[in-house]
Amino acid sequence: MNWLRELGRRIWMLAHRRQFDADLEEEMRLHVEIRQQEHLQGGMQEDDARAAARRRFGNVTALREMSHAAWGWEWLEHFAQDVRYSLRILRKSPGFATVAGLTLALGIGANTAIFSVIESVLLSPLPYPEPEQLIAMKQNDSLQNLIDIQRQTRTLSQGGGVNIEAMDYTGGTEAIQIPAAYVDAGLLETFRVPPMLGRIITPNEDVKGGPRNIVVSYHFWQDFLSSDPHALGKTIPLSGSDYTVIGVMPAGFALPREHADVFVSLWVAYPEAAPYRGVHFMRTYWRLKPGVTLSQAQGDISTIDRRLAEEYPDNERDRETLLVPLQQWLTGDVRPALLVLFGAVGVVLLIACANFAGLLMARAIARQQEFVIRASLGAGRSRLIRQALTESGILAIIGGAAGLLLAKWGTNVLVSIKPAELERFSGIQMDAHVFLFVFGISLLTGAVFGLLPAWSAARADAAESLKECARGSTGGRLSQVLRQLLVTAEFAFALILLVGAGLLIKGFSRLRSVNPGFNPTNLMTMHLQLPATRYAEIPPQTEFRRQVLARLNSLPGVDAGMVTDIPLGGNYVGHSFVIDGRPPVPVGAEPETQTLSVMGDYFRVMQIPIRTGRGFTTMDREGQPLVAVVNEEMVRKFFPHENPIGARIDWSRREGPHQWMTIVGVAQNVKHSGLNQPVDPAVYAPFSQSDEAWRRWMTLAIRTHGASAEFIEEVKKQVWSVDSQIPVSEVHTMEDLMGVSLAQQRFNMLLLGLFAALALILATVGIYGTMAYRVGQRMDEIGIHIALGAQRRDVLRLVLGDGAKLAFFGIAIGIAGAIVLSRVMKSLLFEVKPTDPATFSLVTILLAMVALVACYIPARRAMRCDPMVALRYE
Amino acid sequence: MSRGADLHRDEIPPGTLYLLILKTLARSGQMHGYEIANSVQRTSDDVLQVEEGSLYPALQRMLIKGWVTAKWGTTAGNRRRYYQLTPAGLKQPTLERTQFERVIGAITRVMEAV
Repeated sequence: MNWLRELGRRIWMLAHRRQFDADLEEEMRLHVEIRQQEHLQGGMQEDDARAAARRRFGNVTALREMSHAAWGWEWLEHFAQDVRYSLRILRKSPGFATVAGLTLALGIGANTAIFSVIESVLLSPLPYPEPEQLIAMKQNDSLQNLIDIQRQTRTLSQGGGVNIEAMDYTGGTEAIQIPAAYVDAGLLETFRVPPMLGRIITPNEDVKGGPRNIVVSYHFWQDFLSSDPHALGKTIPLSGSDYTVIGVMPAGFALPREHADVFVSLWVAYPEAAPYRGVHFMRTYWRLKPGVTLSQAQGDISTIDRRLAEEYPDNERDRETLLVPLQQWLTGDVRPALLVLFGAVGVVLLIACANFAGLLMARAIARQQEFVIRASLGAGRSRLIRQALTESGILAIIGGAAGLLLAKWGTNVLVSIKPAELERFSGIQMDAHVFLFVFGISLLTGAVFGLLPAWSAARADAAESLKECARGSTGGRLSQVLRQLLVTAEFAFALILLVGAGLLIKGFSRLRSVNPGFNPTNLMTMHLQLPATRYAEIPPQTEFRRQVLARLNSLPGVDAGMVTDIPLGGNYVGHSFVIDGRPPVPVGAEPETQTLSVMGDYFRVMQIPIRTGRGFTTMDREGQPLVAVVNEEMVRKFFPHENPIGARIDWSRREGPHQWMTIVGVAQNVKHSGLNQPVDPAVYAPFSQSDEAWRRWMTLAIRTHGASAEFIEEVKKQVWSVDSQIPVSEVHTMEDLMGVSLAQQRFNMLLLGLFAALALILATVGIYGTMAYRVGQRMDEIGIHIALGAQRRDVLRLVLGDGAKLAFFGIAIGIAGAIVLSRVMKSLLFEVKPTDPATFSLVTILLAMVALVACYIPARRAMRCDPMVALRYE
Repeated sequence: MSRGADLHRDEIPPGTLYLLILKTLARSGQMHGYEIANSVQRTSDDVLQVEEGSLYPALQRMLIKGWVTAKWGTTAGNRRRYYQLTPAGLKQPTLERTQFERVIGAITRVMEAV
């Protein structure tokens, strides 16, 4: 308690220290006055009396300082002095302060931002209970296989499957499509997230002909059930049937990758698809039993795979199910990119710290004289060191504060340009721990490299050092070597980053210049889905399509066609097929192709050139001979040495006799699955000749010059004038879809490019700083050279040679490092080798030029050196 | 460190300054610095010589510890800063004294052992 009261008094004194100082001052003065008075009365002379009184009192200044020290705030006052002094010094050298502060801010800010994203994506737990038990199967599966695995497994406790299909919600003012999850009863159970209201679908409801029950997402509950707490038991009209709400999931719940507004039993909502073993359309998620390892489960699943393959060779012959931990599976695609970025960020931090260190050292060496003078004037070593620390600490704090702003801003920017794969990680924020960590590192750098010179100054023999300083020494061999090492390292790191960025830029430009196989400008796409209730048969579907196309094409300046799945839209239907006249292929081993149904003059609308033969005409319709157009890849793979025109193909495993389609044309390849994806064989066939009534969806491809909001409304109006219950969804311009396809690569390239630019700037500042400093130190030497008749050329060579040595070593080491490290980027590069010689040489030349310029500026100063001035300092 | 004319006087043993100030104030209520200095010399028959200024750091420390308080007053038209013991300060002489006696005891023992 006593110390608390004492602390209180100390703080009070600190707050009133001016008053206390004044009191003490006056008190002491009065004391001496009284004593002097006494002496005068004792008969002394005025001067003697004052001297005697002073003598008797003691050293007033020292006593005042001692009294001051008694208050216990000496350290604080020293600190405040140091801070004031440091600020004054920094203000006097704004260039140094700005560069050092910026260096740190960039290092700290960029690191924190990137690492925050990496942490939330790669390291943060999934939003499900016991997330470490959750695994995904890499391959999709069918419900029948899923049920068999659920029955047979000994290592998995729970599991379920999901397939996302669009359903038409007709309960609102206009028909809209919502994503629906067709699930089995095991799926929601597996994630162990309890519903907010009601219950989830139970196994005894998940049967053919079971009750039409539905679990809705929080968003659906909010948007369409107006957050009604009594929503349970209400009915919702979906795709022509009424479903009863039995549960509402909580706000935070989402499936790992799929987006779904409602959850229905596959057996109930889509009983046609449920019994097919061979159609692997469900994504499955599983839970490991407690204590079971992934490899044990993998062994278990492989056994079940073999069993299924033996039992159902037609469909399951090539089963090879792979289990992946859910977290890894989710981040799989962005993982390499984020790790490369993480590495890049680490390198930038290293460069930033090296630069900061170099700056501090150069500065400290330049100020050695000041330190030595202060030491010889009696400044204690601890005081000198404290002052040096304060200075680098202040710099670190200024840099850190700027870095904090940069980190906040950078994280937001990253989040706003994040690739689609990161969409589900909505809560990405700047991470305070990360910031503190990075800030700590830069503080430490500041401390270590700020201390070094103060330490050596405090230890040095003052007289020797003063003499040396007067002669303009280069300030210690050790620190000189250290500085050169720092610059060399900066160059090496910068080169590695530049190579990485260069490779990505090259890959990206390759990707951008990839011909998608069609003309994406002025092209709009929209998705339409026909409800099964009224369009179960092909004739009404064909009628609908014809009418819609006819109406759209009657609009001025509009050219419209139809296809099942538009290129770059992310979907396609695959079929196995047979070629007429070829030896039979065993069931289960038939070749696969994409199949696209089209209507209207699709090839002309998309501007997909027909290489040989012809496209479709209005004559290719129901009742006419069946025709198909294939792509070049199909020809390359399956008709390499023959003319495909006239050949006949059909889907395999047809019930009943084959209905051969005759190939009438070959279309140019189209990048259907993404610009960086290989082209698969594809077969186009008219919608109207199809016998697959389940192809109830279509994508409009509309070429028009006026893709405005009014135009979109006009298209919708035309569609609804044919059938007012048909939802129009996924309205995109083709250029948007191209952008999505490029987004991930653009993200990688932008970020790494940014880092490389940063690294380049920092390294340039580093080498410039070093060279400028070295020239300053050697001015006298250069002066002597000039006095002895050296030409400007010689001086230039002297200085540039100095810098070139550093740059050369840095670049050489960097090239070696880049060759080793760029391999990790292989998966991020599109059609570029990680050791691409062009990129390497370009980057090397760039870096060499930068080094040259950075050295040339100080070299020019050296050339202008007046020998008389330089020599006078000797 | 006193010099010159005051060399014949003995310096006070370290750490005893508090004790002297406390005893002085305990005896005479409130005093200003000059009076305390004079009083210390007088009561020790001018044997103990305080370097007068060193009273002030000691007084500052005692202010912090809360043993004394200080306030300005006027005597015969002159401003003086008076120090006065607090209740906590009143208890201090005994405490400081035992400490002092322990030191003196130790010194005496050393002297006898030689």
